[in-house]
Amino acid sequence: MTQQELHNWRLQHDAQNKYLQHHTRRHFLSQSAMGLGALALGSLLGCGTNKTTNSVTENFFDPINPLAPRPPMFPGKAKSVIYIHMAGAPSQLELFSYKPELAKLDGQDCPPSLLKGKKFAFIRGVPKMLGPQAAFRQHGQSGLWLSDNLPHLSTVVDDMAMLQAVTTDQFNHAPAQLLMHSGSARQGRPSLGSWVTYGLGTENKNLPGFVVLTSGGNNPDAGKSVWGSGFLPSVYQGVQCRGEGDPVLFIKDPDGMNRDIRKASIDAINKINQQQYEEYKDPEILSRIAQYEMAYKMQISVPEVMNINDEPAYIHEMYGTKPGEARFANNVLLARKLVEKGVRFVQLFDWGWDAHGDSPENAVDVGLINKCRTVDKPITALILDLKQRGLLDETLVIWGSEFGRTPMMENREGKTMPFKGRDHHGAAFSMWMAGGGIKGGTTYGETDEIGYDITNGKTEAFDIQATILHQLGFDHEKFTYQSQGRPFRLTDVGGKVIHDIVS
Amino acid sequence: MKLRFPKKALLLVSVILVIAFIVLAIYPTQTIDFNTQVKPILNKKCIACHGGVKQQAGFSVLFREEALQKTESGKYAIVPGKPGQSEMIKRITNTDPEERMPYKHEPLSGEEISILKKWIKQGAKWGKHWAYVPVEEPKVPNEKNSWIKNNIDQFVYSKLKKENIEPSVAADKATLLRRVSLDIAGLPADSIVGATYLNDVSENAYEKLTDALLASPAYGEKWTSLWMDLARYSDTKGYESDQPRKIWKYRDWLIKAFNSDKPYNDFLMEQIAGDLMPGADDDKYIATAFHRNSLNNDEGGTENEEFRTAAVMDRVNTTWTALMGTTFNCVQCHSHPYDPFKHEEYYKFMAYFNNTRDEDLPAEYPMLRHYAKEDSSKFIQLKDWLHTNSGNSAWYVSFLKTLQPAVNSHLCDNYTKGLLYQNNHASLDMDGTCRLPAITTTGKAHMLLRYLNNKGSATLFIYADSLKGQLLSKVALANTNSKWKVDMINLPPIAGTHDLWFRFETTMEKDELPLLFDWFAFAPAFSGTVDKNYAAAKNNFIELVMAEPETTPIMVENNSEQKRVTNIFDRGSWLSKGDEVQPDVPHIMNPLPANAPANRLGLAMWLTDKKNPLTARTMVNRLWEQLFGTGLAETLEDLGTQGVPPLHKELLDYLSWKFMHEYNWSVKKLLKEIVMSATYRQSSKTTDELIQKDPNNILLARMSRTRLTGEQMRDQALAVSNLLSKKMYGESVMPYQPEKIWASPYNPFQWKLSEGEDQYRRAVYTYWKRTAPYPSMINFDGGSREVCVVRRIRTNTPLQALNSLNDSAYLVLARQFAINMRKADPLVKKQIETGYQKMLYQPIAPAKLNVLLDLYEQTVTEYKKDKTAANALMGDKNKTALPEDAAMVVVANAMMNLDEWVNKN
Repeated sequence: MTQQELHNWRLQHDAQNKYLQHHTRRHFLSQSAMGLGALALGSLLGCGTNKTTNSVTENFFDPINPLAPRPPMFPGKAKSVIYIHMAGAPSQLELFSYKPELAKLDGQDCPPSLLKGKKFAFIRGVPKMLGPQAAFRQHGQSGLWLSDNLPHLSTVVDDMAMLQAVTTDQFNHAPAQLLMHSGSARQGRPSLGSWVTYGLGTENKNLPGFVVLTSGGNNPDAGKSVWGSGFLPSVYQGVQCRGEGDPVLFIKDPDGMNRDIRKASIDAINKINQQQYEEYKDPEILSRIAQYEMAYKMQISVPEVMNINDEPAYIHEMYGTKPGEARFANNVLLARKLVEKGVRFVQLFDWGWDAHGDSPENAVDVGLINKCRTVDKPITALILDLKQRGLLDETLVIWGSEFGRTPMMENREGKTMPFKGRDHHGAAFSMWMAGGGIKGGTTYGETDEIGYDITNGKTEAFDIQATILHQLGFDHEKFTYQSQGRPFRLTDVGGKVIHDIVS
Repeated sequence: MKLRFPKKALLLVSVILVIAFIVLAIYPTQTIDFNTQVKPILNKKCIACHGGVKQQAGFSVLFREEALQKTESGKYAIVPGKPGQSEMIKRITNTDPEERMPYKHEPLSGEEISILKKWIKQGAKWGKHWAYVPVEEPKVPNEKNSWIKNNIDQFVYSKLKKENIEPSVAADKATLLRRVSLDIAGLPADSIVGATYLNDVSENAYEKLTDALLASPAYGEKWTSLWMDLARYSDTKGYESDQPRKIWKYRDWLIKAFNSDKPYNDFLMEQIAGDLMPGADDDKYIATAFHRNSLNNDEGGTENEEFRTAAVMDRVNTTWTALMGTTFNCVQCHSHPYDPFKHEEYYKFMAYFNNTRDEDLPAEYPMLRHYAKEDSSKFIQLKDWLHTNSGNSAWYVSFLKTLQPAVNSHLCDNYTKGLLYQNNHASLDMDGTCRLPAITTTGKAHMLLRYLNNKGSATLFIYADSLKGQLLSKVALANTNSKWKVDMINLPPIAGTHDLWFRFETTMEKDELPLLFDWFAFAPAFSGTVDKNYAAAKNNFIELVMAEPETTPIMVENNSEQKRVTNIFDRGSWLSKGDEVQPDVPHIMNPLPANAPANRLGLAMWLTDKKNPLTARTMVNRLWEQLFGTGLAETLEDLGTQGVPPLHKELLDYLSWKFMHEYNWSVKKLLKEIVMSATYRQSSKTTDELIQKDPNNILLARMSRTRLTGEQMRDQALAVSNLLSKKMYGESVMPYQPEKIWASPYNPFQWKLSEGEDQYRRAVYTYWKRTAPYPSMINFDGGSREVCVVRRIRTNTPLQALNSLNDSAYLVLARQFAINMRKADPLVKKQIETGYQKMLYQPIAPAKLNVLLDLYEQTVTEYKKDKTAANALMGDKNKTALPEDAAMVVVANAMMNLDEWVNKN
């Protein structure tokens, strides 16, 4: 190493020291804090480029307290996020996208112009058009058209901003879900919730900062990658809270070990570790002591927050919850409880919306209606409940999916399906947002008269991600993480904030 | 008063700076070094706008030829030898903020400007970053100090001396024993090996221990765990339904390769191109499964070519990241932003990998077939018969091993009354037709057809060139009752390349399952018709082709007819294809060896050439990281200009040189040299002072303490509780895992608890599902292995604490450990002492013992009061257990969470 290299190395080193001193909260580490995790920090800083810019654009990962709350780049309207994802892709044509013209084409052959050069997941040859399988009417001050499948939601349309022209280039579930949640259709990038907890930390250190709740019997198609941390430190990955078994893996003490014994054993571990620290002087040991303390506290706070038994009857009535059952409504109520307790990001997935028409459950005029019944009431209750608690202003609620469905009836392998179903359709679908500084009663984007293509207000996954980050106080173009020698952002090279729906 | 001092100091600094500038100006002869002085400034201040991604104003500082070009304004940014005429210098010194560069950023410092001026004055020479220069043998320092044991210490000591820091004393024997055992074998040494060493007072006791560990079978298992991260090994395919993939024979190949100390160059060559090596046998084919660990997307309706391309790009990226420590994936979309790799070089390199037979089909062809039992003897007999009787025996034997070369039916097109069924199989309904394009029929006597037909009366017509062309064959297809069948259809002699057209006639209605094709293969004559056993041999052949033996996904190269063209992808999108490219390696790297063929074998020769600047350095750096917790160059994944520069570059080069030239790529010899050094043997105890001076232990004045990996955590808990199974190899196992971890849609496979000793196998054998990996591996910083995990970033979280405290998989081991402790002695104190001694090879400190004794006393009182709780903790509420046993489980559980246990001291 030359003098110059050594000089550079020292400069970098000093920067790291300062960095940690700045961000480390524990006094015993303020002078000498360098744990193993700090090495990770070192490396992340080490491959950075423009170290002089805004500190939030730097990787910062305080290994001692990686989830400590941090300010955003600018004051954001929203403090926390509840993202509700309907895995499988519900049909926008039976929910939000009112297309009377499509009804007139019902049963006719799809015109060749719609098929030329297009690829579908299952449609082959010439499919028939399928008219809307639900009645629509207008609601609220805004006069939003909504199908009768969502009677409860119709009462809160003036809190919602509809995105009617969402589009994606992915028409298979797993890649499309990944794109929506991680900005890339391939596995390996951090998910939205990871980015947010990395950027903001979390308000309640006795709960995970990023919680995932699933319902519908299956995980989303892309598996745990949709809440993975990608190249961010693994501490930022989503923690799955489960309706059955341990609410968080390994949170329960073993059978036969009561709280007093657990407390005594953690105390013993920490006492011995303290002795170990005196001998080795490794700051990482102090961090371990803190983690065991925190684990003990989480054991109390997680089951507490995950228990919905103690909610009053009117809340259960409002959400349609049934304690002890694995159901979407319970997860929605939990989402409210978690946000109330300071959890930064709650991600819900509900599986079973893939209405191809291959079975009654997957028919847009049977199964879809049943699915709607399980989500309509709780989602509406969530908005009303957040509002009555004064939390809606600072909680961003997003409802959406990975893509939408075709105005054509699916004809899998060129054959008539036994039930009415629609194929995957990425070109145009609907999503909505509410709360967290979103302008209620607005609609952004339009599609053609049969809902096949967008005509204006094109909205991509990146735009939605950019808007979510914006509401939280981040400029999506500057919010980056150094990895593999370059800064990565959630929105890759795309994304624009949808200012039309921001109040 | 206080205010004045800084002012004075500032003035003083300014004066010094001015003098320094004058001195520097007077002595311009001092040569500026591009890599260490210029490149850091360019990377930091210029390259974001003038580099591989953006070339604002037509100016880029990535390559010299680009930087010296005329810019868009018509001016030259850099005129070698003439800083005064160089626009770059004018702009960085301009005072107008609209003109001054870097635009809207802090101006360059006086020192930086002076460096750039001098550099241009001296000719603006570009230099190669150290990692792209072939490894040369560095001079070993000649330090004299009794601490030094080998040349590694020479390098380390000479740096420490400059910093006035003393190295640490050697760790005590017990600590060293545990450290080196975990490092080399991934497990604590068993009590015999341990006791032998601890009682051995001879000079070379430590060396004998090291040799024993390197020779133990556990060694291969430990290093395989590491390699599985790099190979993104998984027992499932990834994506939506994440179906199982049987590729464990590759894991076993790795264990054997490490244990036999297969030279690293051969190790790599076989994994990259084993199938193309002369005399490729089953083992070499299995080695190529390395790059078949990429994801496969079975989701209905996915574009096979899109995901085939994604897999090929993943192979390119993995090759560079894992084997050459370079972030080559940046070059997918544009020239590298910081390192000297050009956009088109990515695709030239990709061309090496773009001609394998795999096509992202759910069946994952090509597979190596492992014939067992009767099939195996049938295969051997048939081989003999073919050798004696057939002129085409080589084709047939090779086909039986891999079912290649075959043409997958999804390549059919021009369907009428037919379609691509589930994006996977060509299918025809009654009177359906389709085309199989461009088949070379010269010298082919048979078409092998794998199909499924549920219709009783069915005839397939095969025509050349069109449905009105020459009828090549008319064959009756059997009703296969929803099973796959292979027919060998004779073809008339017809030379050239032809489209084959198929027409399907049946009397049955369409709405049943259509006729499905899986693949076609075009074979030379089976021959040997004169032999009396001809018919039997042919029959055996068909039976073997139809057999469903165990298989392993492997690499097989396209034959000349199937060759794919490789194009540049504009901005990395596989849909916008640019110019065609031929296989080549980046110009900055070593040239291809003279005899290297233009395929993966040539690539493997280049990769393992001693002139390749990255291969040895990357591996040495990785091995170092495994032992010390941090690489000599900390960014294992990036030795390029954006990586953290290694303080001990000379040591890295010294070891890399020795690895290649002296040790002939022996990993065991290299590891031995490292663990024999005084540097490695140092105590990890430190002082506040040293922590302040060198928090990250870059100078190596002590041994680093490292938290164990998820695998090591599990393995040592198994070992210390005497439950560890020594069984090696075979299918992946399923130890205890909480319910409902697996929930992939459209996937009936369940986690099924393994039986008997398979519950207690080393972690390297645990079944790995990509979308739901084993929880404790993930909690302890494992990656999901969707892509290559080049380095696990260690974290310290409450979820880890909960995992080792409460996971039943760990509790079972604590229970067994407690029972073993209780058996050792009637006295509780002795029991704990024995247990601790077993865990850490040393007696427990009295203060620590007291804490555990207190815990025991407090707990045993509780369990005497609550017998049911004691029973429950021992595993069965209804079975009477001793409160003493239960209390000891609590103690064991605590002991297995101690810092000294989860860390390597």
